[in-house]
Amino acid sequence: MLEFTCLIPLFTGIIAMFLPVKFGRGILVVTALLHLQITIMAWLGKITPGLPQYFSASPEGLLVLLVASFIFLFISIYAVSYMSVTEITSEPIYIGCTLFFLSSMSMVALADHLIVLWIAIEATTLMSAPLIFLHRSKSALEATWKYVMICSVGIALALLGCFFIVLSMDIGNVQVPITFSGLGAVATQLDPMWLKAGFIFLVIGYGTKMGLAPMHTWLPDAHSEAPSPASALLSGALLNCAFLGVYRSHRLLYQAGLGDFSSNILIGLGLLSMLMAAIFIFNQTGYKRMLAYSSIENMGIIAFGVGIGGLATYGAMLHLIHHSLIKSSLFLSAGNVLLGYGSKLISKTGNMAKVFPKTFTAFFAGFAGISGFPPFGIFVSELLIIMGAFQQGRTIEVSIFILALILIFAGASRLVMKMSFGKWDEEILVDENWTRVLPSYALLLTSVILCVWLPDSLYQTILSAIATIGGSVNG
Amino acid sequence: MSVFSDALLALTLLSVLMSLAAHRLVALVKIMAFQGIVVSLIPLFLENLHAMTMGSILMLQVMILIKGFFIPGFIYVAERKIKIRREIEPIVGYHASLFAGLLFILISVFIADRIYASQSLPGEHVLLMITAITTLASGLFLLMSRHKAITQVIGYLMMENGIYLFGTALAKQTHTQYLVEFGVLLDLLVGIMIMGIVLNNINSSFDDVDTALLGQLKD
Repeated sequence: MLEFTCLIPLFTGIIAMFLPVKFGRGILVVTALLHLQITIMAWLGKITPGLPQYFSASPEGLLVLLVASFIFLFISIYAVSYMSVTEITSEPIYIGCTLFFLSSMSMVALADHLIVLWIAIEATTLMSAPLIFLHRSKSALEATWKYVMICSVGIALALLGCFFIVLSMDIGNVQVPITFSGLGAVATQLDPMWLKAGFIFLVIGYGTKMGLAPMHTWLPDAHSEAPSPASALLSGALLNCAFLGVYRSHRLLYQAGLGDFSSNILIGLGLLSMLMAAIFIFNQTGYKRMLAYSSIENMGIIAFGVGIGGLATYGAMLHLIHHSLIKSSLFLSAGNVLLGYGSKLISKTGNMAKVFPKTFTAFFAGFAGISGFPPFGIFVSELLIIMGAFQQGRTIEVSIFILALILIFAGASRLVMKMSFGKWDEEILVDENWTRVLPSYALLLTSVILCVWLPDSLYQTILSAIATIGGSVNG
Repeated sequence: MSVFSDALLALTLLSVLMSLAAHRLVALVKIMAFQGIVVSLIPLFLENLHAMTMGSILMLQVMILIKGFFIPGFIYVAERKIKIRREIEPIVGYHASLFAGLLFILISVFIADRIYASQSLPGEHVLLMITAITTLASGLFLLMSRHKAITQVIGYLMMENGIYLFGTALAKQTHTQYLVEFGVLLDLLVGIMIMGIVLNNINSSFDDVDTALLGQLKD
């Protein structure tokens, strides 16, 4: 039964809430291992959904599930070490909510029913909110409030979008279950006007969650105020889940022959997100905020790639994998920096290369990776997206895309240089530790490996995920 | 469309207008409880009573319980703890808000008419559509035009009610799957609970629930 990927974290989360902290940390790692195992079994096709009217093992869902499960394992190892050196007032709640969060994300990845997907995405918001206000500082509270309010209202609009799509079905006199796979098969009979209206609301709703500009305002606050393992999860796993909502809606429109309409919206929002990130990253004062804006940029890139179609869609899917790996690694390194320097401000850090060599290696390599340098995978994915865009003749769009990439690299590299080689002559609060560095290394290494060697099953899954919206590696 | 459902829809509209003009927060919570019950009752009168199944009757009761008692009760408890009685300086005044509410009704009559004129929609629930759009718009308006975080929660709740009405107006009842509907309700309930907890924490660290105080994080 595929639903175990949601049920196991749910149960272990409940158990962890009532157990002493020591057991809770063990449960976190054990659950992560179990979850990865079930996910791999699902990849091998050994288990099938128990409730096929609500859930299905779609290729794009499996992809997101695998990415989430994989980075969750490393983040949970890091979190155990992180929690032992920081004071967290209610650790059982933190562990419990992290597991609930994993459970809700798995549900998003597997959901096939329109409204079950909505329920799952709303649940991710609710389950991750306690993670953000863990420190109970004033700024953390503010970030949580913005996160819950903005995302809940946004996602409520997505529910309206779901109803519009159901209406388009009624007008077209179609009788199928309200699932993406069911609707996709009869997409051409759906009423186009209401389908378009539904898509707009779905994109606004899930786009809010994904961090697409101009609905991104909660993202920098939440990512910078959450404890680092939670930020890594938010950025590496949650944003992908929200993307899945946007992607499936786009696919529905494509199948209905309205692909141009939804593509243009995605390209527009994607470019806007990238430009917005370029503007705000330039004079950024906090390094976690900088990383958060970089996430907005990367979600923009993915939306752009999917919107362009063809080869770029393949690039976007690769980008999704590599962004998750590298960005969660960066947030984990940022956690070490925060522990060591005791401040989120870039001006209060410096000379990382000397005082923090291990973390520096991970952070700098991660930065190189996220900026698109080889041997990290983002190099390939961005190249593919650019090539795909040229193939489609989208010259103006792609020039804006490249411009935004250059601006972001220029803005962020100045800040990273300051952190790495700037002046610093004070005491370090918490020294770095192998258990808090190795997870970052492992995630980066995975990105390098996947760049030079993509396992065949992964390759085939990506291809079958993008085939339905006309994406392929041959352009 | 029976007389009963028309009466219920009129009551919903009335509750929307009352909530826009409510000064005292306790009154606002009571109005929301009333609105929750009325909104949950509406599907009962739209459907053919004989066609109702065991599931739909059970769902109706759960919905009344959650929307009419649990959620308002939870907000009421949060309000008691926070010790805030009224919204002192709303961003948009009460009379202006009431006027805005009337405008929303006018606009939604226009929109609903246009929608029904141009499309061959199932059923003829024009008044239901009008109420849904008004509730949705007023909820969003309440969310934006008030300072206190607790009023924003109520605005969100009203918006959700509006969307629910939209769902009943647009979709054929045969699509309803109670498990799914229950999931949506559960999300709403947990959402309000988490908002309540955050509210309490905001109150204890800022000594107020004024969202104007929440402005430290920006670029």
